[in-house]
Amino acid sequence: MSLTTLAQTLASGALLGCFYTLMALAFSMVLSVTRALNLAHGDLIILGGYLGYWFWSGSGLHPLLLVPVAGAALLPLALLWQWLFNRLPEPKELSSLVLTFGLSLLLQNIMLALWRGEYRLIASESLTGSIRLGGLRLNQGRLIVAAAALAAVGGLYLALTRTRWGRAVRATSLDREAAALLGINVDQATRTTFLLALALSGGAGVLFATLHYLYPAGGIELTLLAIVLTIWAGVGRLRSVLVAGVLLGVIEALTVAWSGPRWRELVVALLLLASLLARSGGLAGGRSH
Amino acid sequence: MRRLTWIGAGLVAAALLLLPPLSGFHPYYLYLVSTALLFGTLATAWNLLAYAGQISFGHAAFFGLGAYGAALASLGRFSPWWAIVLGGLLGAGGAGVIGLASARLQGAYLALATLAYAEIWRGIAHNWSEVSGGGAGLIGIPPLPPLPWLPLDFTRGRAGSYYLSLAFLLVVLALFAGILHSRLGLAFAAVREEEERASLLGVHPLPWKILAFALSGFFSALAGGLYVHMVRVVEPDLVFSRYFSILPLVMATFGGLHTLLGPATAALGLYLVSELLLQPYVPVFHQLPYGLALIVVVLYLPGGLAGLLPSPRPSPHRGEGR
Repeated sequence: MSLTTLAQTLASGALLGCFYTLMALAFSMVLSVTRALNLAHGDLIILGGYLGYWFWSGSGLHPLLLVPVAGAALLPLALLWQWLFNRLPEPKELSSLVLTFGLSLLLQNIMLALWRGEYRLIASESLTGSIRLGGLRLNQGRLIVAAAALAAVGGLYLALTRTRWGRAVRATSLDREAAALLGINVDQATRTTFLLALALSGGAGVLFATLHYLYPAGGIELTLLAIVLTIWAGVGRLRSVLVAGVLLGVIEALTVAWSGPRWRELVVALLLLASLLARSGGLAGGRSH
Repeated sequence: MRRLTWIGAGLVAAALLLLPPLSGFHPYYLYLVSTALLFGTLATAWNLLAYAGQISFGHAAFFGLGAYGAALASLGRFSPWWAIVLGGLLGAGGAGVIGLASARLQGAYLALATLAYAEIWRGIAHNWSEVSGGGAGLIGIPPLPPLPWLPLDFTRGRAGSYYLSLAFLLVVLALFAGILHSRLGLAFAAVREEEERASLLGVHPLPWKILAFALSGFFSALAGGLYVHMVRVVEPDLVFSRYFSILPLVMATFGGLHTLLGPATAALGLYLVSELLLQPYVPVFHQLPYGLALIVVVLYLPGGLAGLLPSPRPSPHRGEGR
């Protein structure tokens, strides 16, 4: 591998990592306020991607304009998810896994019914082509996706650290009962977290669909990636998620460059198992529970 | 109530025994019910591990290892019977490995580890083409030979694998019943109730945990070996499919965790509803019952369907049950 190719691979992986960061944040937001693991997270992203594809092929609009549309389309599901997650029995981590294993199966069935098993890609001409930066050629689509993801992550960071809403959400995720005693409307904080997390997932799906082919069973890999990042970075630490996301994107890009795309899924599963064994504790470890 | 349960179970067993001649040895229905019976075995094996407190999201790993092990041995000139046993041992080993590796994981994190483990084996089967045939898998696996000491109608072709699946399920149920009433069952229950307290009482949880994994993996892998000799092909996305992780979990929790007959009953019921009622009319939604059953169990029926039955009267003589 020449030095240019290596640099190219690293840059392209880092751009992908920005997308992974956005995806993992939506996962860990729900985890932090509900202690529930959403195994259907990746399926929701794929659903957002399919909706984006559907709008795109019908309207021909620029895919970036469809990001908020797909995000809004998942809002009703956010309310359903919250309603279901509210009723989870203890231990929540395990019961949420079982519940969302079922939800993931249902979502895959629905997507299979609506779009058959065909592979779909938002192959917009506005995203093809590449930009020269120094000696590197960067894919324009990846740059746009990374920029959009970083904008969303930055916006989320500001919202969580600088607004009353963000304080309420952070307090709720630290200690639900104490937050409620202090007069924080924890139900509202939870509901808005679900709405925001699913809107981000839907939007992320559109971005994903411009990079990768969609297929109904493709969500699990994204879920596993989100869990790996959450283990690496801890829950609710935005900057560490960004570092972990970029690292994961780079690892993935190097794997693909050295041994071909066939090994990608295997490497993701290996990383998850290794991370679980290395941490051997809760994902929410380090936070008060 | 318990007596009613046993009468019901007896009737179901009799109906299953008589099904092949009654259906005129219809190949499609026999294949369907054989698969349902294998799922019953898989759900019972899953339940055995759950009895020791370990919730697995990765039984596809054990099923698939059994399937590949049996297929490779069968293609390597072993008799299919020995091939299935070898596949079973491979599955037991694979299950023991993840049980040992995840010694310190519990609950949701163990579940995630097993989920990843099954995905790893699927990835290996995809990529280790020299052995596994890669994504295309292996074909030409021989059928099960008829047993010489039984009438040919009952051991040949679909009827043969049907009766074998039924016998296998009954054997696994009998072993499970034996385990429930033995010291092994007590140790599993102690590990489940509280790993910490069990170790204080002198039961070291780890060996029992590994044993529970190995036993559950062994039965699941035998089911996998039997399955490949029925369908006679093996592919990574077929036998390491998440389907074989999610279905035993759904069936066992829907039928009632830790009960003897619940998981197998739910397996037969859910699988047949899915394949006979939904598959012909709304094929894309034939997996719907599993997803819905899981949601219903988690939210409304924590004990599964067995939780609907009134619990057996507390007997004055302790000793029955757990």
